[in-house]
Amino acid sequence: MNGRRERLNVMASAAPVLEAAALVTREYIAPGFWYLGCRAPKIARAARAAQFVAIDVPGEFSPRLPLGIWTAEADQVSFLFREWGDRTTRLARLHHNAEVSLLGPLGNAFEAPPEGARAIIAAGGLGIVPFWLLVKTLAASAVDMHVVVGARSKELIVGVDALTELGAKIHLCTDDGSAGRKGSVVDEVRDVARTGDVVYGCGPRAMLKALCEFANAAGVACQISMEETFGCSMGTCWGCVVPVKRESAQGTQYPRAPDERRAYDVARVCADGTVFRAADVLWPG
Amino acid sequence: MNGELQPPVDTTVDLGGIVLKNPVIAASGCYNRGAEYGRVADLSAWGAITLKSVTRQPRLGNDMPRVANTPAGMVNAIGLQGPGIEYFLKVEAPKLADVPTAIIASVAGFTTLEFADVAARLDGLPNVVAIELDISCPNVESEGGACFAADPDATAAVVRAVKRRARLPVIAKLTPNVTDLRPIALAAEAAGANALSLINSVRGMVIDVEQTRPMLANATGGLTGPAIRPIAVAAVWDVAQAVKLPVIGMGGIASGRDAVEFMLAGASAVSIGTAVFRDPQAHLRVARALSEEAQRRGLASVRALAGLANPTFAAQRARR
Repeated sequence: MNGRRERLNVMASAAPVLEAAALVTREYIAPGFWYLGCRAPKIARAARAAQFVAIDVPGEFSPRLPLGIWTAEADQVSFLFREWGDRTTRLARLHHNAEVSLLGPLGNAFEAPPEGARAIIAAGGLGIVPFWLLVKTLAASAVDMHVVVGARSKELIVGVDALTELGAKIHLCTDDGSAGRKGSVVDEVRDVARTGDVVYGCGPRAMLKALCEFANAAGVACQISMEETFGCSMGTCWGCVVPVKRESAQGTQYPRAPDERRAYDVARVCADGTVFRAADVLWPG
Repeated sequence: MNGELQPPVDTTVDLGGIVLKNPVIAASGCYNRGAEYGRVADLSAWGAITLKSVTRQPRLGNDMPRVANTPAGMVNAIGLQGPGIEYFLKVEAPKLADVPTAIIASVAGFTTLEFADVAARLDGLPNVVAIELDISCPNVESEGGACFAADPDATAAVVRAVKRRARLPVIAKLTPNVTDLRPIALAAEAAGANALSLINSVRGMVIDVEQTRPMLANATGGLTGPAIRPIAVAAVWDVAQAVKLPVIGMGGIASGRDAVEFMLAGASAVSIGTAVFRDPQAHLRVARALSEEAQRRGLASVRALAGLANPTFAAQRARR
């Protein structure tokens, strides 16, 4: 790999595997939200924070469905997902012990903060998914962690109990004020974060954009895990790209850039991410 | 057979001078050069891997979103993103030596001259056995505002220009987004193409009914996957009867049965694209199924399956 790729890849990862997994737990945890637990020892062992698997959802043909890994313990991995389209609806209807093919773990992973730095974690809605593994890993090395969790309203907050159990300090925010602070995750991060912290983010695009703008302006290191509609989930179809600040691959500037003064390239969210440094991401539109 | 071992089925195919160890090809735009899928699949089991189309200039491609799921398939409008021929030759081409099977390079362009200029530079690359001309991408427009493969004369002009400048065999990839594919296929043949690939994706569209706007930034895209298979089979059926060139059939092949269907319609080889997004080992299943099908029918070769369901094709081949 060349130097540019290394700089962009927040953390290189083990090669993915195809693993036949048994569905062992399925729970309806909040309006529209499901928890799915699968026995998949190889992937459970290899998984790191912000990685995902591509699931072959049984039934009619569709490309694999990418799902971020929530927990990975012993021989099991779990996922949180929202039922919203054909594949997630089929997934939510699978019977107990159904066998599904998982491909993963895919994508890069969050990088741990430097010695002594605090971790400020910003999770918007299902954006909490990559943070169980991050909190678990950082708790083992006694990192001071603040997890800011936001949702539209109280009943849509998922995953908080599991993070509390791991010892994270939770800050709640809701758009309607039904739990915690009435306001956005980024408002709370702005109040909590200080120089020397490392900010981690995952959530809706608008939230991530605001988080990156805050972090870049404040000079705080920030890593975000991005979401896009994937085609292949493997880096071959170029269906999920994000403009990034780096010398383009050919060492020349592409003809059309959101900010014409800077060199810019496009990276694949599925294969070059999903984790990017806030300072590298460009936000068109 | 009294337990006697049957002789192994001959899986090789000759596509107008392009000799492959088996007729199962990775379709362009789905596989890069195999490095990603090679982590979970045996690349050497492909008859060939078709690279993503390369253009003369670097291209950023279309805005996001670029893909959307549809019943039994997906639509995409990537927009021929790629680093361009200079970078391809400098950085990508040397790595082709590591690919454990034959490679088909794919070329896209916006003028006839661009196709010829890029194709002329692909001779002598490691493992590259042919050039496929992507004259049928539904997501970009040529200089004249339409797709080359929508017109017999434009198709012939590109094929002729490339044949004059490139030594490698040339495959013309045609679009189903026309009223009649046959005159276009005949024009490619007359211009000197060695083989034809069909079909490219079918123009399609999905609207986000909640947001009240197209799902793709490009509005329309190319539909792929099993949803388009019957369209592709009919295209292969029609064209295989009309031309003497070998046809590489593609469009929604996801199983051995599907590949057999294309062969029976008149294809001499098959390509798999979107199906690898579900099963990275689809090519293993398909290659095995083609051999088993030939064996089951008592045929000595997989290529003998070609056109068995297409009497006009069979009669024409018998005359040759």
